[in-house]
Order: sequence, then structure tokens, then C-alpha cells
Amino acid sequence: MASDRQNVGQSTGRIKSWLQVLVLIIFSGLILAMSIRGIGGNPTAAEILNKKWKEDGPFELSPERGRFALTYSLVENKTFYFSVPLARFILPDLGYKNGHYVSLFAPGVSYVVAPGYWVGKWLGSSQVGAFAVVALFGLGNLLLIRAIAVRLGADKRAATLGGLAFLFASPAFAYAVTLYQHQISTFLILASLYLLVKFNSWWSLLVIWFLCAASIPVDYPNLFLMTPIALMAVGKMVYYKKSRSGVLLGVKLGRIFTMAAAVLPLVFFMWFNQQSYGNPWQLSGTVPGVEEIDANGNPTAPAHATVDKDDLEKYFDPELQKKSIFGFFETRELVNGLYIHLFSPDRGVIYYAPLVLVGLLGGVWLYRRNPEITVVCLGVVAADILLYSMWGDPWGGWAFGSRYLIPSYAMAGILLAFLLTRLRKRSFGLMLIWLLMGYGVAVSAAGALTTNALPPKVQVLELEKLSGMVQKYTYRRNFDQLLVNNSKSFLFGQEGHKYVSAWQYYLVVVGLIMTGTTGLMVMLRWGGRND
Amino acid sequence: MIRIKPRQGLLELGLGNKTIERLKSWVEHWENRLLVWGLLVLSVVTYWSYYRNGLGLAYNDARSHLDIGRRVVEGLKPGLAQLGSVWLPLNHILMVPTIWNDWMWHSGLSGAIQSMVGFVITGLVVSWYLKELKVGLLGRLAGVGLFIANLNVLYLQSTAMTELLLIVTMTLGAYELLLWHKDETLLHLIKAGFWIMMSTLVRYDGWFLLVTAMMLIVRQAWAKSGYKKAEGVVVFFMTLAALGIGLWLLWNLLIFKDPLYFAFGPFSAHAQQQQLNDAGVLITKSNWLQSVKVYAVALLYNSYTIPTILAGVGMLLLWADKSLSKAVRWSSLALLAPLVFNILALYLGFSVLFIQGIAGNTWFNVRYGIMLMPAIAIFIGFLVDRAKKFRPLVLLSLAVILFFALMGGDAVTIDDARVGSSQKNVSEVSGWLRENATGDSGYVLISAASHDAIIFSSGLPMSRFIHEGTGKYWLSATAVPDRWAKYIIMRTHDKNDLTFRLVSETDAMDKYTLIDTFPFADIYELKPEYWAQLETTIADPEVR
Repeated sequence: MASDRQNVGQSTGRIKSWLQVLVLIIFSGLILAMSIRGIGGNPTAAEILNKKWKEDGPFELSPERGRFALTYSLVENKTFYFSVPLARFILPDLGYKNGHYVSLFAPGVSYVVAPGYWVGKWLGSSQVGAFAVVALFGLGNLLLIRAIAVRLGADKRAATLGGLAFLFASPAFAYAVTLYQHQISTFLILASLYLLVKFNSWWSLLVIWFLCAASIPVDYPNLFLMTPIALMAVGKMVYYKKSRSGVLLGVKLGRIFTMAAAVLPLVFFMWFNQQSYGNPWQLSGTVPGVEEIDANGNPTAPAHATVDKDDLEKYFDPELQKKSIFGFFETRELVNGLYIHLFSPDRGVIYYAPLVLVGLLGGVWLYRRNPEITVVCLGVVAADILLYSMWGDPWGGWAFGSRYLIPSYAMAGILLAFLLTRLRKRSFGLMLIWLLMGYGVAVSAAGALTTNALPPKVQVLELEKLSGMVQKYTYRRNFDQLLVNNSKSFLFGQEGHKYVSAWQYYLVVVGLIMTGTTGLMVMLRWGGRND
Repeated sequence: MIRIKPRQGLLELGLGNKTIERLKSWVEHWENRLLVWGLLVLSVVTYWSYYRNGLGLAYNDARSHLDIGRRVVEGLKPGLAQLGSVWLPLNHILMVPTIWNDWMWHSGLSGAIQSMVGFVITGLVVSWYLKELKVGLLGRLAGVGLFIANLNVLYLQSTAMTELLLIVTMTLGAYELLLWHKDETLLHLIKAGFWIMMSTLVRYDGWFLLVTAMMLIVRQAWAKSGYKKAEGVVVFFMTLAALGIGLWLLWNLLIFKDPLYFAFGPFSAHAQQQQLNDAGVLITKSNWLQSVKVYAVALLYNSYTIPTILAGVGMLLLWADKSLSKAVRWSSLALLAPLVFNILALYLGFSVLFIQGIAGNTWFNVRYGIMLMPAIAIFIGFLVDRAKKFRPLVLLSLAVILFFALMGGDAVTIDDARVGSSQKNVSEVSGWLRENATGDSGYVLISAASHDAIIFSSGLPMSRFIHEGTGKYWLSATAVPDRWAKYIIMRTHDKNDLTFRLVSETDAMDKYTLIDTFPFADIYELKPEYWAQLETTIADPEVR
């Protein structure tokens, strides 16, 4: 009888758990759906050159254009090379190799969103379909953060809040509604971490190595971001025992062979490089670039080119250019890079997502439960910050917040869950976190609903000279867009604008997120333990 | 013992306790020797590499240091008086045994040797220091590895600059001070005094270390044994440690008639900085924020940033580590003396540091940031040892940073030498001299204070040059240049150039032809009709 009651209790608990997850999926899915950027229709290569699709539309910057163009090229033209209209669409981040216009971006994102493009096309909105795939990954990241935190011992509501903080209170929101690599890269990192936390079997290692290798075609720096995960995976293949007579170092041979799972994604990657660039070892970042195309469809010099003969030749014949992968990362940039990512008004975490910095404190409590996972989480953060602080363009071009730190925001979400678990009966602490959450949601939602095209402060002076106007370089630019009724949300553009202004739409989105967040915080504070 | 368990799919390597003990003692026995040999090979290979590509002599100051050493043994008035003032003498004194050889002079090896030895010994001392802090082998290797993998350190140890000599004397002083704090034996106090005294004869940073050491000794002795003992210990320490400063003041008094000539004389750093201040570019003077910021950036650039941040964590861990005695933890403050000194010197206007894009439009003295490398290496070694669970994270971070630093060739000290204010491409002037003045015996009148790089790069023997340090030759030549100087090298219309300042007061310049104007100096040659009256052999001008 007692055991029957226990079984019923456990089943009820499991159903409750699944219901909670379902509610979370519906809630978050709704907000993402309200925020995805796009315009209805299945544009052709010529049509997407229109300003309506580019500067004023979903393809405001070249990273989105470059990746979408490759998807379009693969699905519609069945080729790795870009037609001239597509090439013009991608400028100035266009590659040129062996007489063909090619992509300068890692191919993984383009392949991953291809099914979404295809489904979207069938429904009459190919671009929205492609973007929706990224949103799905964003949703997946929220769920993974929750799952990892719960698995490690956090309160479920705290874990949910950690996931919500990542997806809606950080710049990750602005990049979950458009076509960038960050949500997909983060998903691969979180999925590997989840497998490490939950399982300890040969098949989980197989999947982890596959994911580690698959992350490289999505974005090359993932090689470094995945290293802490890979090292922990190696740790599951070896063991160390100390006894009175000595020490024993062992290797589980069967698990070593799981590393073979990395071969398939790498083969795909090399195959793509071979097809696109004629060289399996060529990395897209080292492919010669084209900044302008003339009326005949040939590479030419851009307006800003100098009259230096050598310089001009490299524009007309791009294959004279020589690029090295090591030139992209310079230790001399670290001081400036750290400042830009953490403290600068145009990209700094402290301005865009201060909750992330606070969330990292949760590492203290996670460390007490599971020091190894804490070190892995912090390792991902360290690799992320170090690498992109050395990057020649820490601003990420025109961007919203520090987009390169999105994987770190995810790690901070996990750690935040433990901070919240620790503080769950402290009203003052929760209130502080709630306020920071509110601030983060307010800022990030403005970015998600309007634009990611915020100039770096260093370019603003030049912009002001050209435009004759004061140019803003912080998220205030996004609020200005809302106030003039501009929003790039697909739903707002299709239907929402008939009933509410962009500002009101924004308030609805923020209101929804904060309602859910507040409800969870209240339950955390006054509800029973739920882990 | 290697074992395979096919059923379980395991491969095991077992080490018995006896084997482990034998391995440990082997490592401990050979550790120092392996370190020395490894560091020596690295030092020599690095020197050779920079000698071959010419960067070893890129610093203008390096050429000046070599010239000073050379003037002691060769010139119109050789002798110890050529050690001059302003720059402390130890670096130049150490060159004397080898710089008489032309190749040792012009290759820079005569000055680089002490830097190379300093590099090797500092690597060793970092390891010893960490051993005293009970840091295991991995931590010691991490500390030493960080020090020797720094391109700025490797570059400076290949040059005749003073950084590595200063670093080794200061680090040895700090090490002996640590040992004294542990056991308070007089021998360690004497050794600490000796090495700190040596550092006071390399650069003025050593003077600040002396003050720091004195304060630490007072604190320790007073806390342990009261005021009387403290007084005695400090007096004992200072007798040796301050000897160098005393001798230097005496030297300035005897040679230049003013014990503070080095500090306030016309060629002093103070005079140089005064000019910069008048031009409005000395932004760090009387500004704490700028002084801290500028030095901090120099430090971060030299160390690749992340090691400094991690060293900060290691330092806090050390100070909080109760397994180390309070005395030992206090003594570690000596390692931070260069940090305080450099900021203070910038604030007081005795030092200048330009960092392109942040403070000034060029690089200058950015190499001062290297002075904390031993401290960074030691604190990181400590962190690696103590932060066990975070050890992989720390090591991985350092490995990634050093990988990119080495791949990218990031060495801000080389930028300073090549393109900053520390460089002087005098090849046009020195090349002209080498081509046109090598064959004859006419003297060259030149200000060594302004144009030591030209003297060095010309390849001519020092005895061909009449400069400020040649006493009566200088006085005669600047009064009647057409009797003494076949060639005059000077920056025309620049009152800072002593040669111009003095010869422009004569009417002798009509007897000279301006050969050419170059970025750093102009060349004048005596007209052929006046060659007959030229002095071309070494003789006492008073006889004339």
C-alpha cells in the first residue's frame, strides 16, 4: 500500500514536471514567436536586394545575409557558389575563390536552417522559416539550462528563472530572432554539458564527441569553447586510483574509440571546403574577400580604396590577398577587448545584462555540490571571454550588446539558478535579482524587437559627420526605433501594427516576460522546496 | 607496470611507491641542472636569433650603454670617469672585461651577456622562491614556464639593456629577504643586502627596493624582538645595502662636484622630463589616475594581461594562506616594489612612459612594465599549486594566451625598439661616416649625449670621436673646431645638441661644408683648404 502510494506520488510528480516544462515551452515559444524578425513572402535573389529586406528588414547586417545566401544557394540553386545578385546581397562580406563568389562564413548555420527555410517557403515565408530554426535553438537552450541546473541540484523554479534570464534578459534574445550562429553554438555546448552531467556511458561520449566536432562548421572558435567539455569527456575515459602500494592510471579503451564520432562532422566540413574553395583545409576566414562588384559582376575596388597600386590590385584580383588565421586573434587586444565586452557603454555586459555578472556568483554554491562541472562552466566562460577579447573586432561589428559572449550568458544562467536557490528565502536578494532581471528584459526586448545594428562608439564620430546628426551607440537607439513605431517583428509587421504601436507591442512582450518571471519568483520565495 | 584487461577493456599503468619515490628524488636532484641547461640553451638561441635579425641593437639606449662601456677602455680619454652620471654604472662595469673586443662591442654581446645570465638566474630563483612557499613541481614549472615564454623577456635578455640585470638582482634580493624572514639567519640578511646593493647600482628601481626591504626588516625584527634589536638589524643591513648609493653620491661629488648631479643635472631624467612637461605631454605628472592607468597598461601589455589578472588572484591566495607564516607573507611584498616605484616615479615626473593610442602618439619606455614578471610568475606558480580543482582552468587559460602571443609575435618591447621613441634609425648618418671617414684619421666632433647611436653604428673606433667625455679635447674642439674636427655631427639649430650650442658661438662654421641633412643629425665636413691645420693624432691639447 505504502509503495503503491509512493508510485502514484512519483507518477504525479513526473506529470507535474512535464506539465511545467510544457507551460514553459508554450510561454517562451509565444514570446519568441512574437519577436522573430521577418517579412512574409519567398523572395528571389533579386528581390532580397531591395532595401525592404536589407537595411529596413530582417537582413540588416552581413552575417545574416551571408548565411541566408548560402542556404538560398544550396536549396534553390543547388550550388555552393553565389550568383551575382546573391553576391551583391552579401557585400561587403563576400568571398572569392577560383573565379567563384563563395561564402566567408562557416557553413553549419546555413545547413541547419535549411529545413526551416524549406518549411517556411512551403508556408509562404521562407525567411521567417529559416529564422525560426534559430529561435527553436534558443528555446532549446532555455530548456537545457533548466535541465542542467535541475540535474545538478538547483530548485526547479530557480532553474527555470536561470533559463529565462539567459533567453530574455540578455543579448541572447536579440540573437534568437535572427540568423546568427550564437544560439546554435550555445546549444551544442549546453547539449554536451547536459550529456556530461546526466550520463556516464560510452554512447553519451559518442554523442559528445560528435557535437564537439559538429560545432566547428557552425563557428570555428567553438573549437576553443568546446575544449573544457572535451577535457571533461577525456576525464571520463581515464581514471586514477591511489592505494597504499602506489598509484594506478587507467584508460577505458572502449571509450577512447568514441572519439571516432568526431570524424563524420569533420569529413562533412572538409567536403564543404573542398566543394566551395577547392581545398579541404581552407578555412572560410582565410578566403580572399570582395568588397564591391562592378556592373559586369566582377570584383572591383570599393569607394574608400586607396590609390596604392598593390592595394588596388588586391581588389580587382582578390586571390592576391593573403590571410592568416592567427592574425584574427592578438593578445595585444586583450586590454581593449575585455573593456569592450565587460564595461563599455556600447557593448558592455554591465550595461546590457548586469544580471549575468551577478549570476556568476552562483558558482560558489555549485562548486560545493559539483566542483568539476563548475570548473567546466567557468572554463567555457574563460575561453569565450579570452578568445573574443583577443579578436580584432570585439564589438562584433554593428551589434547589440556583446554577441560573442552568448555562450557565457548561458553558463551564467546555470550558475544563476544556484544563486537563486541559495537566496530563495531572502526577499532582499530576490528583489535585487528581480530588478536586474527587469532591467535586462527591458533592454533585451528592445533589441530583439527592433534592430541589432548598433554602431561601435569608435565609428560614431564618423557617422555623425556623414549624417550631420547625433548618432546613438547604445540601446537607446533601439528605444528611439520603438518610439517612431519601428519594429522588425514578423508578427508585428503582419498583424500587430493594425492594433497597437511598436511601443505598445514592446510593452506587451516585456509585460508577458515579467509576469512569468514575477510569478516564478513569488513561488520560489513563498512556495515549498521544488528540486 | 603496464596491464591490459581485455574483458573490461582497460589499459592500466601502475607505479609503486618505491618507483614514485625514486622518480621524485631524481627530479629533485636534477631539477636545478635541467633548469639551468634548458634556460641557457633558450637564452643563447634567442640571443642569436635577435642578433641575426638586427633587433638586438634596435634600442637606442642599448647602443648608448655599449658605447659607455667601450669609452671606459678605448677612446681619447679612457678610464672609469667615462662611466658618467645619470645612468647607474653596474651594467657598464660588467662590460669592461669584454668590450675591448670590437666584435663584442658591435654585436652587443658584451652588454647582452649580463642580461642572458640574469635571465637564466631569474628563472632559477623563481623556482627556488616557489619551493620556499611549499609549491610543488607543477606550480614551479608553471611559474618558470610563464617567465621564460614571454617574448618581451626573451627579447630584452638578448639586448644590452638593463632590465634583466635589474630583475635578477632585485629577485635575488627578494629571495634572500624571504629566507631571512623564515629563519632570520645573518647570512641571508647579508646576501639580501648584497643583492639589493647591486640592484641600486643598476637602476633607481633598486633604491626603492632598498627602502621597501628596510621597512620589511624593521617590521619583522620589531615584531619579533622589539625596537633595540630592530635598530641593530636595520643598521647592519643598511651598511651593506646602502653602500652602492653612498658610493654613487660620492662618485657624483668627485667627478661632477655635485652629489645630486645624476638627479638634477642637465642630462638627468628630471631635465628631460621637464622639457616634456613644458611641452604639455607629461600627462602622468601630479596625476595619480593617469600614472596608475599608464603603468597598468604597460604592465598588461608586457605580460599579456591574463597572467597579471591570475597573478592577482594568486597573490590574494598567498596572503590568505595560513599554512605560510605571517613573516613569509609579509616578505612577498618586496616583489611588488617595482609596481609602486614606477607609479610613484610617473606621478613625481621623474619618469615618462608613452603608450601609443592611450598616452601619447608613440611608444616610449613601455618596457618598464616587464619589471613585475618575476612577481607574476611566482604568484601564478602559487595559484597553480593551491587552486587544485581550478588548476586545469588556469593552465589552459595560460596555455591559450601564450600560444596566441607566440604565434602572433606579440612583443611590445620590440615595437618600442622598432617604431617608438626608443628607436633611432641613424643608418644614413652612420653609414655615411662608415663609408667616408673610415679610411682617414680626422676626428669627428659629436655630442655623445645626443648621438651615441651614431657613434655606435658608424663602426669607427671610439678614439675617433671628440665628445663631452673627452675633457680638454672637447673644450678645445668646441672652441676651435676647425683645428680639431674634420667632421662635425650635430642637429643644426637645436640648442639641446651641445655641439651646436657651443660651435654656433664660434665663427668656424664658415669653414665647413654641409654634406647633408638627415632626420637625426646633419653632417659637416671641413673644407679641404683647412685640412692642413687639422690635428689628426692623439695628443694632449695643452701642449698646443
